[in-house]
Amino acid sequence: MSWETVIGLETHVQLSTKTKLFSRASTAFGASPNTNVNLIDCGLPGVLPSVNKEAFYKAIRFGMAIGAHINQTSIFDRKNYFYADLPKGYQITQMDLPIVLGGSIEILTNDSAKTINITRAHLEEDAGKSIHDEFDGFSAIDLNRAGTPLLEIVSEPEISSAKEAVAYMKSIHQLVTYLDVSDGNMAQGSLRCDANVSIRKSGDSELGTRTEIKNINSFKFIEKAINFEIKRQIKILESEEKVTQETRLYDSAKDETRPMRSKEFANDYRYFPEPDLLPVVISDQEMQKIKDEFPELPTEKEIRYQEEYGLSLYDAQIIASSKSMADFYESAVASVKNYTLLANWFIGEISAYLNKELIEIHESKLNPENIAMLINRIDDQTISGKIGKSIFEEMCINGSSPDQIIGSKGLKQITDDDSIEKVVDEVIDNNPEQVEGYKSGKEKLFGFFVGQVMKKTQGKANPQTVNKILKEKLTK
Amino acid sequence: MSIQFKSITELNELLDKKVISPSELTQESIELAKKYNELNCFVTLNEENSRKKSASIDRNQKKSSLLSGIPLAQKDLFCTEGLRTTCSSKILSNFIPPYSATAVEKLEDAGSITIGKTNMDEFAMGSSNETSFFGNVHNPWKKGFVPGGSSGGSAAAVAAGIVPAATGTDTGGSIRQPAAHCGITGLKPTYGRISRWGMIAFASSLDQAGPLARNAEDCAILLNSMSGYDSKDTTSLNSDVPNFLENINQSIKGRKIGIIKEFDLSDLDTEVQKRFEESKNAYENLGAEFIEVSLPNISASVPTYYSIAPAECSSNLSRFDGVRFGYRAANTDDLNDLYVKSRSEGFGDEVKRRILIGTYALSAGYYDAYYKKAQQVRRLIKNDFDNVFKSIDLLMTPTSPSTAFEFESKGTQNPVELYLEDLFTISANLAGLPAISIPHGQVNSLPVGLQLIGNFLREDLLLNAAHVFQTNSDFHDAKPNLENFK
Amino acid sequence: MDRETVRTICYLARLEIDQEKSERIQKDLETIIELIGSLQSIDTSNIEPLFNPLEMTAFKHEDLEASDNKKDKFLENAAESNEDYFLVPRVVE
Repeated sequence: MSWETVIGLETHVQLSTKTKLFSRASTAFGASPNTNVNLIDCGLPGVLPSVNKEAFYKAIRFGMAIGAHINQTSIFDRKNYFYADLPKGYQITQMDLPIVLGGSIEILTNDSAKTINITRAHLEEDAGKSIHDEFDGFSAIDLNRAGTPLLEIVSEPEISSAKEAVAYMKSIHQLVTYLDVSDGNMAQGSLRCDANVSIRKSGDSELGTRTEIKNINSFKFIEKAINFEIKRQIKILESEEKVTQETRLYDSAKDETRPMRSKEFANDYRYFPEPDLLPVVISDQEMQKIKDEFPELPTEKEIRYQEEYGLSLYDAQIIASSKSMADFYESAVASVKNYTLLANWFIGEISAYLNKELIEIHESKLNPENIAMLINRIDDQTISGKIGKSIFEEMCINGSSPDQIIGSKGLKQITDDDSIEKVVDEVIDNNPEQVEGYKSGKEKLFGFFVGQVMKKTQGKANPQTVNKILKEKLTK
Repeated sequence: MSIQFKSITELNELLDKKVISPSELTQESIELAKKYNELNCFVTLNEENSRKKSASIDRNQKKSSLLSGIPLAQKDLFCTEGLRTTCSSKILSNFIPPYSATAVEKLEDAGSITIGKTNMDEFAMGSSNETSFFGNVHNPWKKGFVPGGSSGGSAAAVAAGIVPAATGTDTGGSIRQPAAHCGITGLKPTYGRISRWGMIAFASSLDQAGPLARNAEDCAILLNSMSGYDSKDTTSLNSDVPNFLENINQSIKGRKIGIIKEFDLSDLDTEVQKRFEESKNAYENLGAEFIEVSLPNISASVPTYYSIAPAECSSNLSRFDGVRFGYRAANTDDLNDLYVKSRSEGFGDEVKRRILIGTYALSAGYYDAYYKKAQQVRRLIKNDFDNVFKSIDLLMTPTSPSTAFEFESKGTQNPVELYLEDLFTISANLAGLPAISIPHGQVNSLPVGLQLIGNFLREDLLLNAAHVFQTNSDFHDAKPNLENFK
Repeated sequence: MDRETVRTICYLARLEIDQEKSERIQKDLETIIELIGSLQSIDTSNIEPLFNPLEMTAFKHEDLEASDNKKDKFLENAAESNEDYFLVPRVVE
């Protein structure tokens, strides 16, 4: 029997507004508990919400980028349910008239492209946070996150593997960071998803019973949770049993999903239009302004990088793949002459370092000024590429500037012929056997001489000059 | 000399002539509140702060506003910073708001002094003030009779002359009906005229704050201070606020007043009918013209209201869950148990009934039939009003089908019986229109109210018509005999 | 309105009804439902619901911080809290 997986994702993107969706409390991450909480966020009796303009603009930017229809009149609804960190006993969300309708997102897996259609994207407020295991017998409620604007992006059930789900999330991540809609920080919960997973016999047209895995917040966990769930469901189906429709949690420590206890009762959310908020209308002028101020997207950047900096398509794609990388490159490129050398460093050393450390460039100790300085020192032959690499390693560790490192360690390249000639003579004098060997045809020994010269100069000799002088002396 | 039963205008004269200081005035008002404790108008008195504030007004010797130094009472669903706010519910019996309602803030900024918080139907749900956790309020006109509701404590406090005016809120008649039953003047402004920020919500799309006072002129003084756009309430109106005192005296000659054909008054007590006819004649003598108009859907007001208001209330009252504020039941097993016990012990029967009705009306499969249907009928009702206001200036009806009744005499067997108390008042809330109730005589020694309904934002016409009526009659000057309450 | 429906809406509203009152409440609810059910006879085809009497659109505020946080007062109002958090009986997810 062959099985087919059907996945739909509901992605929650935390919008990078300064203030909350319905109050003007700060959304800054990491504040001490219950301090980013206004009267409104506490759900006190008598308070009323008002709408954050910027949250709408960000949502619309996303909608425009995915080619969606923008509902210029949208309304908020109340979703009624009780939970400890839901202060009002309802969540304000958009049900019937979401801000974004339709659109699609391109994903890339194993070099094949696929289009995933988007059902809708709507604005809603986040809940607070419950801490369950720090206080004896109690759960503690922190409302700092309550009211933070979320854009919930709902995909059509067109994703057919865990790998595709990850690719989809990566596309969304790239898009929302590029659009400055979100900081995309998954560790802080700025991007998370619920996955609806179901299995059917290959070829069946009807969908199988689905389960919903809640709140997955890393690319790795998305892949693991979905794969676990696929295997679990197939096992059930193969033993001729039925999958229960339920909400499940992914436990990363055990690498398994399990049913969520607190959601055991079927709920009836009793949606109705939020009577405290009138319909939100975005004028044509506002729409035009959003269009006029639209940020440059990855593909546009790729074209520009090829034209302005003469990069290859491949290099341009890698640099433009993430907003933070592109921003960094653009900032550095402004102060270098050798664009290709800078690009090579991005593709080579810098990418390798970031991949090894699993961090984004803006999370590293590197900064564009220092990288530009490093490239310029290599370019003007103050240092060799090899010394450049050791300087880079140090920059990664302590963030110091290349000039500082060069100065303090005396790494300046030796380029004058006289000094190098002196060292070359010394090496030839000290190694008569090798000289003999080389002259009798063992040309591989050339490397030995280069190595010796470099060793004596602590790698500071200009390699081209060393090569030139050695060749002259040895063929005499 | 006693300040009891004095209007704001009269008190201003005494203050201006320095016959009395704001401190003495406030003190006397508080003494009256204590003296008539048995009326049970107040849930909480604000003695210390009132003394402090009235004393500071003494020191400044500056009288900038018509409310400066005037004692007022606030319905106990307006949040008052640092002063207990209960909504007359057990669930909020210990709630100290960390902020004040905009309406209260504006009145206090104008120099008025909040001497206390008035009793009301629990969460404003009721028409007799019998659902309060803090007990019934007596009608100052007759012990053992209801003052009406839900702003019963405010109406009784004004009627007993303890304060010259008080705030109320009106979701289906909660200012006008108690004003009628207590023989005072009560105004429900246009929806959005006064900010709802800090007013604990019952039904968001219907709730509106307003004044209860001894006469229309005093209502205008309060309305002048309370009105205006508030960025904290985005359903408040961003329109100019006129000075409501400016044209209050102008002649009403030629005003066209509509009588609603669909309200069959022949079912009412014949004396109530008589008062209505008498007032109609009085208005004709003042130059008004009467026209019979038809509002074909107005009879559907009560069922429409009892679908919308409970639905909104069921959601608005979800925040009372025992977690962040308010009553929390003891000895609960888990979070769900905490919710159920805190809410079941904290809310009274009528509130529970309405939450359940609202929950039902919004639940899957019923939303379209009940909630959405009612909002559609609501539009039909509003269209009816829009239509008649093309040819008339005001509408006139009785405020209430009857006079005040005895405690526990209505609605005990069938809640709908009490719901029909609001038959004439509810439609103004559904359409968001302003309406006023003024006293126009008595039946069996109990006051009867006359309601005028105005078009959108035309409180000026209402106050003008009410004031002209009051300058030509003395029904609003009638005072209850309070011997029984001492 | 049967007993099961009453039980369901009580669950949704997190309310429980005393045994001796339940019959009365059920009857009351039936009466009220009958009252609001009378709207069914009104033709509302093609009528847009009027969710708010103000047929206007929402004011949108600027994305500028303005805090009115009163953490201590917020926590003081809670039946159970510590210096940082509101506390509820422990929830098992």
